[in-house]
Amino acid sequence: MGESVQPGPGMAGVSASEFLDTAISEPSPGTALLTVRGEIDTLTAPTFTAAADELLATPADTLVIDLTDVRFLASSGLAVLISAAHRAEERAVRLRLVVPTRAVRRPIEITGTGPLFDLHPDLASATGGRD
Amino acid sequence: MSDLSSPTPADALDGASTVEVRTSASAALIPTIRAVASDLAARADFDLDAISDLRMAVDEACATLVDVASPTSWLHCTFLVRPERIEVHAQVQTKHADAVVSTDTFGWRVLQTLADEVAVHHDPGRGDTSPTVEIRLDKRSGDVLR
Repeated sequence: MGESVQPGPGMAGVSASEFLDTAISEPSPGTALLTVRGEIDTLTAPTFTAAADELLATPADTLVIDLTDVRFLASSGLAVLISAAHRAEERAVRLRLVVPTRAVRRPIEITGTGPLFDLHPDLASATGGRD
Repeated sequence: MSDLSSPTPADALDGASTVEVRTSASAALIPTIRAVASDLAARADFDLDAISDLRMAVDEACATLVDVASPTSWLHCTFLVRPERIEVHAQVQTKHADAVVSTDTFGWRVLQTLADEVAVHHDPGRGDTSPTVEIRLDKRSGDVLR
Protein backbone atom coordinates (compact mmCIF):
# COMPACT_ATOMS: atom_id res chain seq x y z
CA MET A 1 0.00 0.00 0.00
CA GLY A 2 1.48 3.35 -1.02
CA GLU A 3 2.51 6.09 1.34
CA SER A 4 0.85 9.51 1.04
CA VAL A 5 3.14 12.11 -0.40
CA GLN A 6 3.38 14.98 2.05
CA PRO A 7 4.06 18.48 0.76
CA GLY A 8 7.69 19.47 1.29
CA PRO A 9 9.17 22.90 1.90
CA GLY A 10 9.13 23.65 -1.81
CA MET A 11 5.38 23.27 -1.99
CA ALA A 12 4.18 26.09 0.23
CA GLY A 13 0.52 26.82 -0.31
CA VAL A 14 -0.31 23.30 -1.52
CA SER A 15 -2.57 21.36 0.81
CA ALA A 16 -1.78 17.79 1.74
CA SER A 17 -5.28 16.86 0.67
CA GLU A 18 -4.16 17.24 -2.92
CA PHE A 19 -2.92 13.70 -2.49
CA LEU A 20 -5.23 10.74 -2.19
CA ASP A 21 -4.00 7.26 -1.39
CA THR A 22 -5.70 4.42 -3.22
CA ALA A 23 -4.82 0.74 -3.37
CA ILE A 24 -6.53 -2.28 -4.90
CA SER A 25 -6.09 -5.71 -3.33
CA GLU A 26 -7.67 -9.15 -3.32
CA PRO A 27 -8.17 -10.10 0.35
CA SER A 28 -9.70 -13.41 -0.70
CA PRO A 29 -10.44 -15.10 -4.03
CA GLY A 30 -13.32 -13.38 -5.81
CA THR A 31 -13.19 -10.28 -3.60
CA ALA A 32 -11.70 -7.02 -4.83
CA LEU A 33 -10.99 -4.29 -2.29
CA LEU A 34 -10.29 -0.63 -2.97
CA THR A 35 -8.79 1.10 0.08
CA VAL A 36 -8.93 4.90 0.03
CA ARG A 37 -7.20 7.31 2.41
CA GLY A 38 -7.32 11.10 2.50
CA GLU A 39 -9.86 13.64 1.35
CA ILE A 40 -12.02 13.22 -1.74
CA ASP A 41 -12.80 16.62 -3.23
CA THR A 42 -12.53 18.47 -6.54
CA LEU A 43 -8.78 18.12 -6.56
CA THR A 44 -8.60 14.40 -5.79
CA ALA A 45 -11.84 13.22 -7.47
CA PRO A 46 -10.00 12.25 -10.70
CA THR A 47 -7.68 9.97 -8.72
CA PHE A 48 -10.67 8.43 -6.98
CA THR A 49 -12.49 7.96 -10.29
CA ALA A 50 -9.49 6.16 -11.77
CA ALA A 51 -9.27 3.86 -8.75
CA ALA A 52 -12.99 3.07 -8.88
CA ASP A 53 -12.64 2.26 -12.59
CA GLU A 54 -9.79 -0.09 -11.73
CA LEU A 55 -11.91 -1.80 -9.08
CA LEU A 56 -14.81 -2.28 -11.48
CA ALA A 57 -12.47 -3.66 -14.13
CA THR A 58 -11.64 -6.64 -11.90
CA PRO A 59 -13.66 -9.83 -12.48
CA ALA A 60 -14.46 -10.14 -8.76
CA ASP A 61 -18.03 -10.85 -7.66
CA THR A 62 -17.58 -9.11 -4.33
CA LEU A 63 -16.60 -5.45 -4.63
CA VAL A 64 -15.61 -3.45 -1.56
CA ILE A 65 -14.51 0.17 -1.11
CA ASP A 66 -12.98 0.86 2.30
CA LEU A 67 -13.57 4.50 3.19
CA THR A 68 -12.48 4.15 6.83
CA ASP A 69 -9.64 6.63 6.44
CA VAL A 70 -11.44 9.10 4.21
CA ARG A 71 -11.65 12.33 6.19
CA PHE A 72 -13.85 14.24 3.78
CA LEU A 73 -16.23 13.29 0.98
CA ALA A 74 -17.34 16.01 -1.44
CA SER A 75 -20.32 15.72 -3.79
CA SER A 76 -17.89 14.87 -6.59
CA GLY A 77 -16.73 11.86 -4.55
CA LEU A 78 -20.29 10.83 -3.79
CA ALA A 79 -21.05 11.01 -7.52
CA VAL A 80 -18.21 8.54 -8.18
CA LEU A 81 -19.61 6.16 -5.56
CA ILE A 82 -23.10 6.36 -7.05
CA SER A 83 -21.79 5.74 -10.55
CA ALA A 84 -19.74 2.78 -9.30
CA ALA A 85 -22.79 1.32 -7.56
CA HIS A 86 -24.80 1.51 -10.79
CA ARG A 87 -22.00 -0.11 -12.78
CA ALA A 88 -21.71 -2.91 -10.22
CA GLU A 89 -25.47 -3.48 -10.45
CA GLU A 90 -25.06 -4.02 -14.19
CA ARG A 91 -23.32 -7.26 -13.32
CA ALA A 92 -25.67 -8.05 -10.44
CA VAL A 93 -23.15 -7.08 -7.77
CA ARG A 94 -23.98 -4.77 -4.88
CA LEU A 95 -21.12 -2.42 -4.09
CA ARG A 96 -20.04 -2.72 -0.45
CA LEU A 97 -18.77 0.35 1.39
CA VAL A 98 -16.95 0.42 4.72
CA VAL A 99 -18.20 3.66 6.27
CA PRO A 100 -17.51 3.83 10.01
CA THR A 101 -17.09 7.61 10.21
CA ARG A 102 -19.51 10.51 10.10
CA ALA A 103 -17.44 12.21 7.39
CA VAL A 104 -18.62 9.60 4.89
CA ARG A 105 -21.84 8.31 6.46
CA ARG A 106 -23.43 11.74 6.79
CA PRO A 107 -23.22 12.72 3.08
CA ILE A 108 -24.68 9.33 2.16
CA GLU A 109 -27.44 9.67 4.77
CA ILE A 110 -28.44 13.22 3.99
CA THR A 111 -28.64 12.60 0.24
CA GLY A 112 -30.69 9.44 0.76
CA THR A 113 -28.27 7.38 -1.34
CA GLY A 114 -27.73 4.66 1.30
CA PRO A 115 -29.98 2.11 -0.46
CA LEU A 116 -27.64 2.05 -3.46
CA PHE A 117 -24.93 0.35 -1.43
CA ASP A 118 -24.31 -2.36 1.15
CA LEU A 119 -23.02 -0.25 4.02
CA HIS A 120 -20.72 -1.82 6.60
CA PRO A 121 -19.26 -0.50 9.86
CA ASP A 122 -15.94 -2.28 9.43
CA LEU A 123 -13.80 -4.08 6.89
CA ALA A 124 -14.30 -7.53 8.40
CA SER A 125 -18.06 -7.45 7.93
CA ALA A 126 -17.69 -6.06 4.40
CA THR A 127 -15.29 -8.75 3.21
CA GLY A 128 -16.71 -11.68 5.15
CA GLY A 129 -19.72 -13.68 3.97
CA ARG A 130 -21.18 -13.97 0.53
CA ASP A 131 -23.81 -11.91 -1.27
CA MET B 1 -11.08 47.38 -3.21
CA SER B 2 -14.29 46.44 -1.44
CA ASP B 3 -16.96 44.02 -2.51
CA LEU B 4 -20.10 46.12 -2.50
CA SER B 5 -22.29 43.09 -1.97
CA SER B 6 -20.33 41.58 0.93
CA PRO B 7 -21.37 42.41 4.47
CA THR B 8 -18.84 44.35 6.49
CA PRO B 9 -18.47 43.82 10.24
CA ALA B 10 -20.43 47.03 10.76
CA ASP B 11 -23.42 45.42 9.05
CA ALA B 12 -23.61 42.61 11.58
CA LEU B 13 -25.34 44.73 14.18
CA ASP B 14 -27.11 41.70 15.59
CA GLY B 15 -23.87 40.67 17.24
CA ALA B 16 -22.60 38.23 14.66
CA SER B 17 -18.90 37.49 14.70
CA THR B 18 -17.46 37.94 11.25
CA VAL B 19 -14.60 35.99 9.74
CA GLU B 20 -13.33 36.70 6.25
CA VAL B 21 -11.05 34.41 4.29
CA ARG B 22 -9.59 35.40 0.95
CA THR B 23 -7.60 32.96 -1.17
CA SER B 24 -6.60 32.54 -4.78
CA ALA B 25 -9.52 30.95 -6.59
CA SER B 26 -7.86 27.56 -6.64
CA ALA B 27 -9.21 24.14 -5.72
CA ALA B 28 -5.99 23.48 -3.78
CA LEU B 29 -6.97 26.12 -1.22
CA ILE B 30 -10.55 25.00 -0.64
CA PRO B 31 -9.48 22.57 2.12
CA THR B 32 -8.29 25.57 4.12
CA ILE B 33 -11.68 27.24 3.78
CA ARG B 34 -13.37 23.97 4.80
CA ALA B 35 -11.18 23.92 7.90
CA VAL B 36 -12.28 27.44 8.83
CA ALA B 37 -15.95 26.49 8.37
CA SER B 38 -15.56 23.38 10.57
CA ASP B 39 -13.71 25.32 13.24
CA LEU B 40 -16.31 28.07 13.43
CA ALA B 41 -19.20 25.62 13.54
CA ALA B 42 -17.54 23.55 16.27
CA ARG B 43 -16.89 26.62 18.41
CA ALA B 44 -20.48 27.76 17.86
CA ASP B 45 -21.67 24.47 19.38
CA PHE B 46 -23.14 23.11 16.19
CA ASP B 47 -24.09 19.46 16.51
CA LEU B 48 -21.77 17.03 14.76
CA ASP B 49 -24.04 16.44 11.79
CA ALA B 50 -24.50 20.19 11.27
CA ILE B 51 -20.71 20.70 11.36
CA SER B 52 -20.30 18.01 8.71
CA ASP B 53 -23.08 19.51 6.61
CA LEU B 54 -21.68 23.04 6.80
CA ARG B 55 -18.20 21.87 5.87
CA MET B 56 -19.54 19.99 2.87
CA ALA B 57 -21.81 22.90 1.85
CA VAL B 58 -18.95 25.39 2.01
CA ASP B 59 -16.80 23.01 -0.03
CA GLU B 60 -19.55 22.67 -2.63
CA ALA B 61 -20.09 26.43 -2.89
CA CYS B 62 -16.35 27.12 -3.19
CA ALA B 63 -15.78 24.38 -5.75
CA THR B 64 -18.69 25.66 -7.83
CA LEU B 65 -17.30 29.19 -7.78
CA VAL B 66 -13.70 28.22 -8.48
CA ASP B 67 -15.01 26.46 -11.56
CA VAL B 68 -16.27 29.75 -13.07
CA ALA B 69 -13.67 32.10 -11.60
CA SER B 70 -11.29 34.05 -13.79
CA PRO B 71 -7.65 32.94 -13.46
CA THR B 72 -6.64 35.99 -11.44
CA SER B 73 -9.69 36.04 -9.18
CA TRP B 74 -9.78 35.81 -5.44
CA LEU B 75 -12.16 33.42 -3.68
CA HIS B 76 -13.60 35.57 -0.92
CA CYS B 77 -15.56 33.89 1.87
CA THR B 78 -17.28 35.69 4.71
CA PHE B 79 -18.64 33.76 7.66
CA LEU B 80 -21.23 35.47 9.88
CA VAL B 81 -21.40 33.46 13.09
CA ARG B 82 -24.66 33.95 14.92
CA PRO B 83 -25.89 32.15 18.05
CA GLU B 84 -27.77 29.42 16.23
CA ARG B 85 -26.71 29.68 12.63
CA ILE B 86 -23.84 30.54 10.38
CA GLU B 87 -24.29 32.53 7.20
CA VAL B 88 -21.67 32.17 4.49
CA HIS B 89 -21.08 34.48 1.54
CA ALA B 90 -18.61 33.18 -1.04
CA GLN B 91 -17.67 35.21 -4.08
CA VAL B 92 -15.38 35.13 -7.10
CA GLN B 93 -14.79 37.36 -10.09
CA THR B 94 -15.52 35.94 -13.50
CA LYS B 95 -14.00 36.90 -16.83
CA HIS B 96 -17.29 37.46 -18.55
CA ALA B 97 -20.72 38.40 -17.28
CA ASP B 98 -22.14 35.32 -18.97
CA ALA B 99 -20.12 32.87 -16.84
CA VAL B 100 -23.00 31.40 -14.86
CA VAL B 101 -23.39 28.87 -12.10
CA SER B 102 -25.72 26.10 -13.14
CA THR B 103 -28.32 25.17 -10.55
CA ASP B 104 -29.28 22.08 -12.49
CA THR B 105 -26.42 19.91 -11.28
CA PHE B 106 -26.06 17.08 -8.79
CA GLY B 107 -23.68 19.24 -6.77
CA TRP B 108 -26.18 22.10 -6.52
CA ARG B 109 -28.93 19.74 -5.38
CA VAL B 110 -26.59 18.34 -2.73
CA LEU B 111 -25.87 21.92 -1.62
CA GLN B 112 -29.59 22.64 -1.32
CA THR B 113 -29.97 19.52 0.84
CA LEU B 114 -27.05 20.38 3.11
CA ALA B 115 -27.87 24.05 3.71
CA ASP B 116 -31.02 25.50 5.19
CA GLU B 117 -30.99 28.29 2.64
CA VAL B 118 -28.88 28.80 -0.46
CA ALA B 119 -28.93 31.36 -3.26
CA VAL B 120 -26.70 32.42 -6.12
CA HIS B 121 -26.33 35.96 -7.35
CA HIS B 122 -24.68 36.99 -10.59
CA ASP B 123 -23.50 40.59 -10.84
CA PRO B 124 -22.54 41.68 -14.37
CA GLY B 125 -20.21 44.36 -13.04
CA ARG B 126 -20.16 47.95 -14.25
CA GLY B 127 -17.53 50.13 -15.88
CA ASP B 128 -14.19 48.84 -14.71
CA THR B 129 -15.50 46.41 -12.06
CA SER B 130 -15.40 42.73 -12.95
CA PRO B 131 -18.49 40.60 -13.09
CA THR B 132 -18.87 38.52 -9.94
CA VAL B 133 -20.80 35.50 -8.78
CA GLU B 134 -21.76 35.03 -5.15
CA ILE B 135 -23.25 32.06 -3.34
CA ARG B 136 -24.92 32.69 0.01
CA LEU B 137 -25.87 29.87 2.30
CA ASP B 138 -27.27 29.51 5.80
CA LYS B 139 -26.88 26.59 8.18
CA ARG B 140 -28.58 26.20 11.53
CA SER B 141 -26.66 24.75 14.41
CA GLY B 142 -28.87 21.71 14.92
CA ASP B 143 -32.31 20.17 14.69
CA VAL B 144 -33.31 20.83 18.27
CA LEU B 145 -35.91 23.57 18.66
CA ARG B 146 -34.78 26.02 21.29
